[in-house]
Amino acid sequence: MKLLTHNMLSCHIKNVRNGYPFLIEVVKVSEHEADFDPDFLKHIFPRINWPAFLQGAQSLGCREGLPEEAAESMLEDEGFLKRFHHALLEVFLEEGSLVCPETGRKFPVTKGIPNMLLNEDEC
Amino acid sequence: MPAGDLEHSPFWYVTLPSEETAKSIGQRALLTKMMVEVWGEGSTWEELEAALQAYPAEAMAPWVGPEHTFKVVVDAFGSKLTMDDQLDLIEKLEFLPFKGKVRLRNPELTFVLLVVDCEWNDSLVDVALPRRYYFGRQVAAADRGVLESYSLKRRLYLGPTSMDAEIAFIMCNQAKVKRGQLMLDPYAGTGSILVAAAHYGAKVMGTDIDIKVLREGKPGPGGPGSATERVCIGSNFTQYGLPQPVGLIRLDTHKHPLRPDLQEVLHAVIGDPPYGVRAGGKKSGAKPEIADRRNPITDPSTHIPATQPYTLGECLRDLLDLSARLLVVGGRLVYFLPATPETYCEEEVPGHPALRLVANSEQILTMRYSRRLVTMEKVHPYDAAAAAAYHAARPDPTMAIDRLHDIVYEQLDEAAKKEAAEAAPRRRCRGKQF
Repeated sequence: MKLLTHNMLSCHIKNVRNGYPFLIEVVKVSEHEADFDPDFLKHIFPRINWPAFLQGAQSLGCREGLPEEAAESMLEDEGFLKRFHHALLEVFLEEGSLVCPETGRKFPVTKGIPNMLLNEDEC
Repeated sequence: MPAGDLEHSPFWYVTLPSEETAKSIGQRALLTKMMVEVWGEGSTWEELEAALQAYPAEAMAPWVGPEHTFKVVVDAFGSKLTMDDQLDLIEKLEFLPFKGKVRLRNPELTFVLLVVDCEWNDSLVDVALPRRYYFGRQVAAADRGVLESYSLKRRLYLGPTSMDAEIAFIMCNQAKVKRGQLMLDPYAGTGSILVAAAHYGAKVMGTDIDIKVLREGKPGPGGPGSATERVCIGSNFTQYGLPQPVGLIRLDTHKHPLRPDLQEVLHAVIGDPPYGVRAGGKKSGAKPEIADRRNPITDPSTHIPATQPYTLGECLRDLLDLSARLLVVGGRLVYFLPATPETYCEEEVPGHPALRLVANSEQILTMRYSRRLVTMEKVHPYDAAAAAAYHAARPDPTMAIDRLHDIVYEQLDEAAKKEAAEAAPRRRCRGKQF
């Protein structure tokens, strides 16, 4: 699971109000080079919830060099694009969990794939 | 405009702004075999010859000089021509002022003589075209070689419902997938559609309710300890040297975990929804009849969640609503809708206030079963109230096709079979090759 995915997910258990963002429990993180595509990064940047992204980056150990606040003007800076690309798409949670901030329910991430299916008493 | 005003004609005249446009269409399109600048046509050889004689010399001049290597190919539609027939026809074209050298392998220019002769071919019921000859310069040709390299025959990771490579590429063309975009397949399975979208340069995301197909894969061709000891979705991307998906998630599109304010993030949603013939739909929650007998949940993160059947009507409602929310305006949803002659009606094709139907194309599979490739485009920003009102006005999303399994496996007695055969004239479709 990359931070792009983490940024999109929130806890959908019935009656949960503050299920975003998931806390990340890390067992194993790896890095893989990903295809650098500035057009894609410019498209996705305004759709990223920045505080959640920073929180995720902190958990996966790639927070360094990412600014506290996000502004569209940063997209002109190649150095920023590279760092954004790296944290968004190259750092990968292989094993661990997504933890609901409200209920503490853990959604396991195994072989990089979060299992977001609800149990029958949760939907 | 179709040749001879026949809508089923495989030959159409198009007006394009430039040769470059024709070339770029040719490079991407898979169902357009070639684009030809027509120099002359006629219903007899004499007419063709007269038309070619009348074609302006100055329009021909840039292509017939000694500086170009060229070849002439003969293509027959509706009949077969032997090599000798083809050579005879090419010799009859000798009146054309070609000065260049003939080169059969990689010539600079290719000229096409098209012979349409359906008179003796009764299998082409839809396309009984009049006899006609066309001659012209090939401007662009489809690169069908891409399909050969992505053939499922050599694909490492496959499942029973893996999407045929050609169809997956056509789906991506319908969705106008390209680099710089984000594409989602909500029923990713073994990732065939994801592979096609990644080939066109998009970042791809796949979700599926089946954790096994997504995460576990299956034993591969390699022995223990080798790189292909086990194969999974990722193996298919490695096989073709494509970037890996940016996300794979196990989720249920009916009760999905996407954050509520997530909108306009995808350029394309492409998928083959689960339906009852080979793989039935499933959604979260226990079937009412077994809910009491389930084991109590001790640890929610390791409990195996129950799933229950999911009708196609419900599934498509969820798919359209999710697409309406997540697509950018101008983004496209492309999916297959199963259909049978008994159940299909145009009014039943699901709609959504934010989406406009762009195309609805039938692919005939058997006499009693076909599927329709539906293409929709997001034309309005998502309006939750409008969507809710639209759905409230249609309280039951179930479709006639939800009886699909029964229809396909229904036992007809002999009399009923005969009656059905008489009622519905046998439909045939045109082959890919001509």
